[in-house]
Amino acid sequence: MSEPKRNRQQLTGALVYFSLAVMMLFMQILPLSSIPRSWTGPDLLLGITLVWVARRPDFLPVSMVIAVFFFADLLLQRPPGLFCALVVIATEVLRARSSALRDAPVVFEWLYVAIAIVGLTALNRAILSIMMVPLPPTSLNYIQMIMTIGSYPALVFAAHFGFGLYRPAPGELDSHGKHL
Amino acid sequence: MARERQQEYTYATPIRRLLVGVALLCLILIFLVWRIDSPRVERFRLMVIDRFVPSFEWAMAPVTGVIKLASDFQSYQQLADQNRDLRRELQQMKAWREAALQLEQENAKLLDLNNVRLDPKLTYITGVVLADSGSPFRQSVLLNVGERDGIIDGWPVMDGIGLVGRIAGVAENTSRVLLLSDSSSRIPVLIQPSGQRAVLAGDNSLNPPLEFLEDPDLVRPGDRVVSSGDGGVFPADLLVGQVALGSDRRLRVRLSADYERLEFLRVLRSRQREEIVDPGDIVAPESRSVATTDDAAASATDGQNE
Repeated sequence: MSEPKRNRQQLTGALVYFSLAVMMLFMQILPLSSIPRSWTGPDLLLGITLVWVARRPDFLPVSMVIAVFFFADLLLQRPPGLFCALVVIATEVLRARSSALRDAPVVFEWLYVAIAIVGLTALNRAILSIMMVPLPPTSLNYIQMIMTIGSYPALVFAAHFGFGLYRPAPGELDSHGKHL
Repeated sequence: MARERQQEYTYATPIRRLLVGVALLCLILIFLVWRIDSPRVERFRLMVIDRFVPSFEWAMAPVTGVIKLASDFQSYQQLADQNRDLRRELQQMKAWREAALQLEQENAKLLDLNNVRLDPKLTYITGVVLADSGSPFRQSVLLNVGERDGIIDGWPVMDGIGLVGRIAGVAENTSRVLLLSDSSSRIPVLIQPSGQRAVLAGDNSLNPPLEFLEDPDLVRPGDRVVSSGDGGVFPADLLVGQVALGSDRRLRVRLSADYERLEFLRVLRSRQREEIVDPGDIVAPESRSVATTDDAAASATDGQNE
């Protein structure tokens, strides 16, 4: 594949991610109801980030992850920086394994991502409780974790058919002309 | 083997690793600074939100409207039932209305007799809810009034009927309202008619429990809960809700404010809050006690002089 085309593809991938992220944050802060819920939906922003990084890490620069999640931390009243740092660590770990994941069946990819999400949630709670930050109900955290893991295949499906996010075919080259 | 080397080249060059490390360090540092000096970072957070959220307002209002319209449409199905219930309720309300009118007249007469003037400071500013907290773990809303409208941190916020929360964070054009249901919300309340004092402690549920109740036996479900004004943070006698017995046998409060639809909120201008300037000191009426001892000493020396 020619270099300009690849670059353009990467840019499109990154832009699609960015617009999806902005849209998700936007939908989250709509003032629809202020009743506290005893259940939650999945953390879709984390979900699509993991889909992107597990399938096409070249589409999602780490700077974008930092920018999006730091802004989300600020916007969603989370302790600023902590969740963002944990997501960066998780995406870097997945990024390093992404070439192995490419050849593996989807179930293994799912398993890897699930481990990442569980680790993320547990570490986040552990650090917050060590720092004695007031914590939300435990059940809510775990419901969200399970929902996020459960929604991963659906997100993969949507990204594949909706946004054309394929795993790179064997022998594809990156912008430097190297194998991915 | 060759592939691994390329992998190394693409994703784990030392420079990249270094940059990611530095970024992680910065993020952790920000978190630690937030933990140590939270007000400053929270101010920064509000500044960022103030910069971005109002610029989305043009899109948020129609989307919210459309979604609410759809949910309203769904509720048409239950309209007949609702109508019947409302009629029954209206019948009861009519009786109450008569009682209220009589009481109002009586109250006006008594106020007149006593020459009572209502506190002119208890006026309010009305704001529109801009955005939600966006997270199931935090219960707060963003209002479209801020510093330029004279909003000050700590002022109580009500909807038409009951207390909703208090201002926690003010930016130039927006301010954040911490709802009573948030797990970090604590409000001193008074339960009528028994006159028991308690603390309404939010726990991320719609019906926050009452804590530090002296004698729970004196409190019955259905009792009125109003703000007590203890600690000088809140004005007294703002309606909060009614006592209810939760399914976990704890006394909880059914909030009067309609949390389902928080749209227009009143921010009450209340007294200037006590500034805490020195975080290291014990909060105590130190200056007064010093003054009195000084006075005592002065009078003692005066006495000696005489």
